[in-house]
Amino acid sequence: MVKKSPPLRAQDKLVFLLALVPYLMDHTRVSVADTAAHFGVPEQQIRDAVRLIAVSGIPGETATYQDSDLFDIAWDDFEDNDQIVLTHLVAIDDSPRFSAREASALIAGLQYLSGLPEHSDRAAIATLMSKLSRGASAEPTAMGVESNEVDETLALIRESVAAGRQLEFDYRNSRGESERRRIDPLRIESVDADWYVRGWCHSREDVRTFRLDRITQPTLTLEPITHSAADVSLPETLFDSSPEDVEVLIEVVPSAIALLGDYVSDTARLEPHGDRVRTTVLVPHFHGLKRLIASLPGVASVVSPPEARAAVSDWAQSAVDRYAAGQ
Amino acid sequence: MPEAKVPNEERLFSLVLALLSSEAGLTKSEILSTVQGYRQRFVHSGDNGNLERQFERDKDDVRELGVPLETIESPEQAGNNHNLRYRIPRADYELPDDISFSAEESTLLGLASMVWREGSLSEESRRAIVKLRSLGIATAEPVLSYAPQVRVREESFEPLRAALDKRVLVNFEYLKPGEQDSTQRTVAPLALVQHQGRWHLYAKNPSTDQFKTFLLRRIVNPVRPSKKTFDYATDDAAARALAELEEVWQTNLAVLRAEPGTDAATRLCKRRGASTTTSGELQLHFTDLNILADDLASFGPEVVVISPAELRSAVIERLTRTVADHG
Repeated sequence: MVKKSPPLRAQDKLVFLLALVPYLMDHTRVSVADTAAHFGVPEQQIRDAVRLIAVSGIPGETATYQDSDLFDIAWDDFEDNDQIVLTHLVAIDDSPRFSAREASALIAGLQYLSGLPEHSDRAAIATLMSKLSRGASAEPTAMGVESNEVDETLALIRESVAAGRQLEFDYRNSRGESERRRIDPLRIESVDADWYVRGWCHSREDVRTFRLDRITQPTLTLEPITHSAADVSLPETLFDSSPEDVEVLIEVVPSAIALLGDYVSDTARLEPHGDRVRTTVLVPHFHGLKRLIASLPGVASVVSPPEARAAVSDWAQSAVDRYAAGQ
Repeated sequence: MPEAKVPNEERLFSLVLALLSSEAGLTKSEILSTVQGYRQRFVHSGDNGNLERQFERDKDDVRELGVPLETIESPEQAGNNHNLRYRIPRADYELPDDISFSAEESTLLGLASMVWREGSLSEESRRAIVKLRSLGIATAEPVLSYAPQVRVREESFEPLRAALDKRVLVNFEYLKPGEQDSTQRTVAPLALVQHQGRWHLYAKNPSTDQFKTFLLRRIVNPVRPSKKTFDYATDDAAARALAELEEVWQTNLAVLRAEPGTDAATRLCKRRGASTTTSGELQLHFTDLNILADDLASFGPEVVVISPAELRSAVIERLTRTVADHG
């Protein structure tokens, strides 16, 4: 997911400078374009950084920043050909260490992903984590994420993309209906313990999102894939919205808004109502909503329309009835 | 001649360069009077209060990035602040020579960094990746495209993580499920771990020396860090916390009946460790009864709890509440 990065703060710019110098030292001559591609930043950011590096240095013996105390670059190559050649070096020899917090963020991220097919070599992951620890300037912050045992569907999805063959499976939607679907897998996404595959659905001729835990009987077909991740632009949100979506007004305890997940966008209007807040969500039908509301008893409820209230109430009541019937 | 203001990143960069290249270190007045970005604002034999405060902030900013900015006291004049020297020891600054990363490892680390999309974890992973890029490793494109995410939505997370790093005790109000009133807790935070999609704090009670695990979402007011530090070892705390949660998860077993052909039957079967008995009952492990009850309530009539009785009544209570709220 390519998101716009927020503007860089001075600290971020400092890290960038400290990282860029050793990279340039290792490359006798490198173009601005290649450097920008390597760091995944705009070319202008590289040019600005190089200009700053070229006039920076240490106070030196005279404490007056003489030329020999400063970095220097081949200015003609830089100005005329967009090439970077460092011609004089000071102070920096090597890449900086990770901070304790940086190392812990990556270690916890690796732990979370350790169920992926890419991580099948457990020993290699352990080595990688210990390298991060040793490469940190202090003991990494104690943080851990349980490894997600992603089911075998994921391995098959990966195979489908690698082999370029469509994937077929039974899918039960939130309405409870099951259907055989055929897709070109585009991307695996996850939110905490929930995993999704987004793909081009041949049955719907559109991009669709599928929960991995609702997929059963997956098989590889012999049909070639017609859509790849490179030629389909995926919407930012996991949930597919449509103009026919219904507006539902819900009321929720403020501290529980986060539990509503993608139903409530970051920009949603939240109207205070007593000790709760009210907000409007858009849903294609009430099947997903009734499940969500039933998982937040006493915390979130539907205000209107009456059909949505009834859907939630009926859903919970039919469950109460089953218990009352002694099941 | 008035000079243009030196950008913040240039001042920070110059500070790091100056301290890296001075083995003996520089005193504060040497730094303020000679280093680029400070020297322009330095008043000889005048009041440099603002500049000194700037230097204090800069030191914090630089250290936060994992740069080991040291303070050394001169042995003859211990306690005399004016003779403190500042330096960045090269060996603690540079990534050790024997640490290198392969293209595959670089790919895995790139994925691990994507897991964090919010708050300080996202900033720190981004910086870690910039440092990784500094080494000039090419990154192998994974076969399948991934967009993994671990969410951190609890407000208590950041203050707890800060307290972990500073190793200080914290105070907060904790609401146990089923209780009306929260209780005040004072603990030494040892690790933050996500288990079964939920964040937990692993902590030690300094007055009883007992270890305890708290669910972050049950912390009801802002976490208040104290000034009291602790010195318990935390290097294996995250692993211990996860192991303890895993043990609780193993011990707790729920027996359910899921209606065949429903969302509940499909999804609950796919949970880690789920098994089906010969009589068709579904057995699920769980960590927290109340959280499982919320989950199961969302499936409405699709699933009925057989045991434990406490879980059964917790689910019925939730469903009844939902019916009442939507009557």
